[in-house]
Amino acid sequence: MLYSSFKIALAALWAHKLRSGLTVLGVLVGVMSVMTIISALEGIMGVFEDRLSTLGPRTVIVSRIGTAMSHEEFEVKRKRKPLDMKSIPALEKGCEHCDRVTMRAFESAELKYRDQKMRDVVVAGSEYSYVDIVDITVVQGRFHSFEDDLYHRPVVFIGDLVREEFFSGVDPVGKELRIGGSPYTVIGVAKKLGSMFGESQDGFVVIPMTAFIKQFGEPRQRIQYVFQARSIETLGLAMDEIRGVMRARRHVPFDKPDDFDMLTASSILETINNFTRIFRMGIIGISSISLVVGGIVVMNIMMVSVTERTREIGIRKAVGARHGHILTQFIFESLTTTLVGGIIGIIIGFLLAKMLVGYIDMEIKPSMFAIFSGLIVSTGTGLIFGIYPAMKAARLDPVKALSYE
Amino acid sequence: MTLIETKDLWKTYDMGEEKVHALRGVSLKINKGEYVAIMGPSGSGKSTLMNLIGCLDTPSTGEYILNGKQVSMMGDDELAAIRNREIGFVFQTFNLLARATALHNVELPLIYNGTGAVQRKEQAKSALTKVDLADRMTHRPNELSGGQRQRVAIARALVNNPSLLLADEPTGNLDSKTSQEIMRLFDTLYQQGNTIILVTHERDIAIHAKRVISILDGQIANDETISEAQRAGLH
Repeated sequence: MLYSSFKIALAALWAHKLRSGLTVLGVLVGVMSVMTIISALEGIMGVFEDRLSTLGPRTVIVSRIGTAMSHEEFEVKRKRKPLDMKSIPALEKGCEHCDRVTMRAFESAELKYRDQKMRDVVVAGSEYSYVDIVDITVVQGRFHSFEDDLYHRPVVFIGDLVREEFFSGVDPVGKELRIGGSPYTVIGVAKKLGSMFGESQDGFVVIPMTAFIKQFGEPRQRIQYVFQARSIETLGLAMDEIRGVMRARRHVPFDKPDDFDMLTASSILETINNFTRIFRMGIIGISSISLVVGGIVVMNIMMVSVTERTREIGIRKAVGARHGHILTQFIFESLTTTLVGGIIGIIIGFLLAKMLVGYIDMEIKPSMFAIFSGLIVSTGTGLIFGIYPAMKAARLDPVKALSYE
Repeated sequence: MTLIETKDLWKTYDMGEEKVHALRGVSLKINKGEYVAIMGPSGSGKSTLMNLIGCLDTPSTGEYILNGKQVSMMGDDELAAIRNREIGFVFQTFNLLARATALHNVELPLIYNGTGAVQRKEQAKSALTKVDLADRMTHRPNELSGGQRQRVAIARALVNNPSLLLADEPTGNLDSKTSQEIMRLFDTLYQQGNTIILVTHERDIAIHAKRVISILDGQIANDETISEAQRAGLH
């Protein structure tokens, strides 16, 4: 029964091409707009996740101000004591579940190579072990070593954007680069990270912490401790240990909250997720309105179709079609149109999303979640909005249907 | 052997204030193999009676036994199954699916009783051959003449070997020459053993039957057997 109903439905759709096309279009527009939004959002969130994964899943960053979701929060956190540079040995001792404990500091400075200049480049100071904690991939040369740190050597590890600006077509290793006027020797190049929201992630250089202090003085504001737990399982324990040492050293009373922030890749992601959730739900909701409109188009056209084909339904009933035969025939008709509309909508929606995020220099992949929800939503639309017209058709009185003009 | 038996059939339509009695107690018996015409002017209730006999509708009161089965109390789906198995309809306006080929139109009843595709085609082809349309199977109704369309409808009515062929004004939309052609086909089908009920308001069509039941104001006014002499006199 199902197969023959399906064949009848297909024949009917084919016979009314314009009408079927319009129905498909109605659903297509709806699914497409929802798909565009979901794919674009998923893509953007995916990029965040990708970028954060360079932090490593067992890495913890301690900073004075980690994230501030509001101006009030920022004002409160701004009053916190800066992190100092002397805590590392104590933290190393106090954190049994840590693999490595180190710190990093940031400044921004002007870079100069011969007569070329780059302004406001992020200069990071770090210890040699930093390269193992944060997933910086060395594609050329090397990162600085224990000895470089020990002897305050003026060596610099550069990001891909810096390489491109200054050393396009030239081997940068061994060249002399000036940071804020002081000479540094280039020792290595990082793998290109690409850009996020149109801004390159590769405009940085890293120098030994000792050299950093020599150049900029002891950092007070933009300093962070970086830890790596022994394993993902012991991440929580390691964080507890660090928290204990930090609170003791900073004399935080037991009834007061931490006066520092601890960030992990997953906590940052969660913060971003929370922050954007309402916004994301909102635009998905708004775009869903077009899906409802698409559903109403389906229902409207199916109603017209049932009325117009009253006589056909009468004939079918006269020769023995039961309630179920007519019902499935019309439901198959609406399901087929909405499914076709859904599939085309998913494809166009994805391409649109790809184009949109392309403008902010990002790439997206087709998301299984988006595809499945698109299919489910479009067939759901066909079912929900097709069932009433189909029931109306199935319930027609054969005598009246046969005499319908 | 009795094929159709009705006992005191009433059909009442509720038109708001007043009730309209389309049938007022019709009792009749039709045997297998009979060729019966139901005659009456419009508004006499003959169409209502045809709808009841054809299981398209159920009586308000009374009993209807078709081929030994009590159908007056059946539900919609059971009636659909009875129509599919027991009754072949031929309508005044042919009632073919406009967008389907002759073959597909004839296949229709078989689709709804679950006959397999191969056998369905086989049966439909043989039914079309019986009505001399073997060479028109792939034509759509709008590519066929009125007489050919009615023959497709007759093939559709016959395809499932029903107990009863029920024709409602089968010549109403045809010219007199084609009408005679269609009536000759009914005569042949009768000779082959089919039970035929012909609903008409034309005496010279009704005369093809062996028995004429006249309906007036929802009741049987006359039930006569047509002799060869009467038939000869009319022609």
